[in-house]
Amino acid sequence: MSSDSGRSLPNSPTSEGFTSREEDWTQLRTLLLAPEQTQLDELRERLDHRMVHSQEVSQVLPEAIAIRGVGDQQLSNALTPYVENGFIAAVRKSPRAIVDAIAPIMGPAIRQAIARALQSMTQSLNRSLDESLSIRGLRWRLEAWRTGRPFAEVVLVHTLRYRVEQVFLIHRETGLLLHHVATDAAVVQDQHVISGMLTAIQDYVRDSFGASPDQTLDQVEVGEWTVWIEQGSQAYLACVIRGTPPASLREDVHDALAHIHALHANALADFAGDATPFKATQPYLESCLLAHYERPPKQGALKGWILIGLIVLGVVWWGWMAYQAQSRWSHLLDRLREEPGIVITQARSMWGDYHIEGLRDPLAKAPTALVIEAGLNPATVKMEWAPFYALDAPLVLARAQSILRPPESVQFHIEGGILVATGSASPDWAREAKRLAVLVPGISQYRDDGLVTASISALLDRINRTVIHFPSGSSTVEPSERVALDTVAAILRELDQLVSQSSQRVHLEVLGWTDATGPPARNLQLSQERAEAVVAVLREKRLDKAATVVLGSVRPLDQGGSNQESANQRVATLRATLTAQGQDSQTADP
Amino acid sequence: MIQKKICMLGGFAVGKTSLVRRFVSNVFSDQYQTTIGVTVEKKCVTVASQEIMMVLWDLYGEDEFQHVRDLYLRGSSGYIVVMDGTRKDTLQTALALQQTAANTVGPVPFVSIINKADMRSEWEIDEHVIEQLRDRSWTVLFGSAKLGQGVDELFLNLATQMVQRPPLSNTHP
Repeated sequence: MSSDSGRSLPNSPTSEGFTSREEDWTQLRTLLLAPEQTQLDELRERLDHRMVHSQEVSQVLPEAIAIRGVGDQQLSNALTPYVENGFIAAVRKSPRAIVDAIAPIMGPAIRQAIARALQSMTQSLNRSLDESLSIRGLRWRLEAWRTGRPFAEVVLVHTLRYRVEQVFLIHRETGLLLHHVATDAAVVQDQHVISGMLTAIQDYVRDSFGASPDQTLDQVEVGEWTVWIEQGSQAYLACVIRGTPPASLREDVHDALAHIHALHANALADFAGDATPFKATQPYLESCLLAHYERPPKQGALKGWILIGLIVLGVVWWGWMAYQAQSRWSHLLDRLREEPGIVITQARSMWGDYHIEGLRDPLAKAPTALVIEAGLNPATVKMEWAPFYALDAPLVLARAQSILRPPESVQFHIEGGILVATGSASPDWAREAKRLAVLVPGISQYRDDGLVTASISALLDRINRTVIHFPSGSSTVEPSERVALDTVAAILRELDQLVSQSSQRVHLEVLGWTDATGPPARNLQLSQERAEAVVAVLREKRLDKAATVVLGSVRPLDQGGSNQESANQRVATLRATLTAQGQDSQTADP
Repeated sequence: MIQKKICMLGGFAVGKTSLVRRFVSNVFSDQYQTTIGVTVEKKCVTVASQEIMMVLWDLYGEDEFQHVRDLYLRGSSGYIVVMDGTRKDTLQTALALQQTAANTVGPVPFVSIINKADMRSEWEIDEHVIEQLRDRSWTVLFGSAKLGQGVDELFLNLATQMVQRPPLSNTHP
């Protein structure tokens, strides 16, 4: 309308009238259309100048984005590539600024991650070292080898009291997973499906038993694992625990869930499937990843070692003792087998008791002496011996000695079953011996070719005919004369044997003589000295027991003898007699 | 990525588990295994450049002895109603279940499918009935878990509906 009015203005007929009318129209138009004109100018200004437009958009942009963002995800989808590109460009342009910006956040997170990894590694290394060298460790290695399970798992099963391996934060109504943490060692299946199933199981149990909504499933046990469920108003925590957790752990889990509810109340209430805001719950969930391992007490290990040491020592000592006893036993058996007159038929040892059966000649060495000699206690060795005659030469000889009782002047020896007698004996004994010898077990023949038989009177006669010569004026027995005295001594012993059974004794009288020269008093003394000298020589030969030796009377000098005769008087003579109870029964004078 | 709880509803032996297994693992077994309680599976899909993790609650089949409890339906962002084309009674069960679901979780997206399309000649559910369902603004699809027909379309259809619809407040009557 206003434009129509404007277009009709230039059609005025006169210039003057036109000018005045023009001004009027202008005035009128200004008066009537001033507000519209201003608005029109402003609109033109807006269309022509984009800056003005942007300013106005900037005023509504935040609200616009907020409204659209609530409606759907398209704005985010549209902006994501530009934001990504912008971020990449920013990183390329000034990485330093980005580093400075994120360093305060990333630094502690990286430090924490490294510290945890190191701690975990140290723990497992310590445990491996602890367990590798112990008896228990060896037993577990054996178990691992037997069952085909990894050694680490076997150690874990035995030492682990409990370990929280996984923690699920689950939206209670939808059963959708809000966040999940797990230890490095945990075997994690599909956590989204697990969280759905955990929720479904709770619903199922509640449905099946007709439980009210406030009655909840708190615990599920599967083999080595326990699943603890801690209920909250909007979300619940499910902890997968290996081993037997302490009741105090419940409080920790409850606290963590309470913190999460307090900090994320809005996000929990508005949850529509986007779990991103719940990444911030990571520290709370990690605080539930607790573990406790059983540590064997050191003192116990020391005691164990001492016990093992004592057992080893005991075994070694027992082994040594057993070895020694066995050696002694073997030695005893060897000695018994070597011993003539002993035959072992059976020998056995059992727990320190010994038993021997066999044959023994009564003349053989006493076995008990051999037992003591071998170092064994005679009380522990039981022996049963059956008597028998052994044909070993020493025993046959001993048997012959005990049966035949030869005089000292007779010697026996064995030559291949033949008993040979040598020396001298009385004819009576020789005759008796010949008769008995072949009856001695082990003796087939008796030979006495070398045995000299003599009568008592012949022997006395031989002594009485003995003369010991002295030089003139001397009472010393010359070495040449000693041979004669040796013979006398031998005869005296023989006599002693012969008369021993008749309770008689040999009485020997020694007489000293001198020649006619010299004063009679001196000669008397000399003759006495000569008799004493002979007695002294005989005494040297220890004949005290064989015969009673007495100093004989001193014969006075024979008067009127020649020099030759006188020389013959420088002698000592012997007179042997048999006495019974000190009386002469038989005398032989020279 | 956003997660969505989806329930599989339907009468017994209509093929809920078979559809889920075909969708998740692309396998099918002729052997019938009754579901006791619930089996949970999941699969990630991308719809309209939005990644969605579909957490599928495969509920036991409803029959005259066992009614599906609303307990399991709580928190669902969508549901799938399955019918067996060869058994007309499964339609009635589906209608009742849909009503229960609508009462429990409110007007969330849902898709219905008439399974066993491989046995079309034996179907008892006719076009007339299907039209009636569509008149009630049901999305009715046909498919066969055995042959793998219409299975991906079924789940993607529901996913698309869930993405397009602004998330509802979880408070329901």
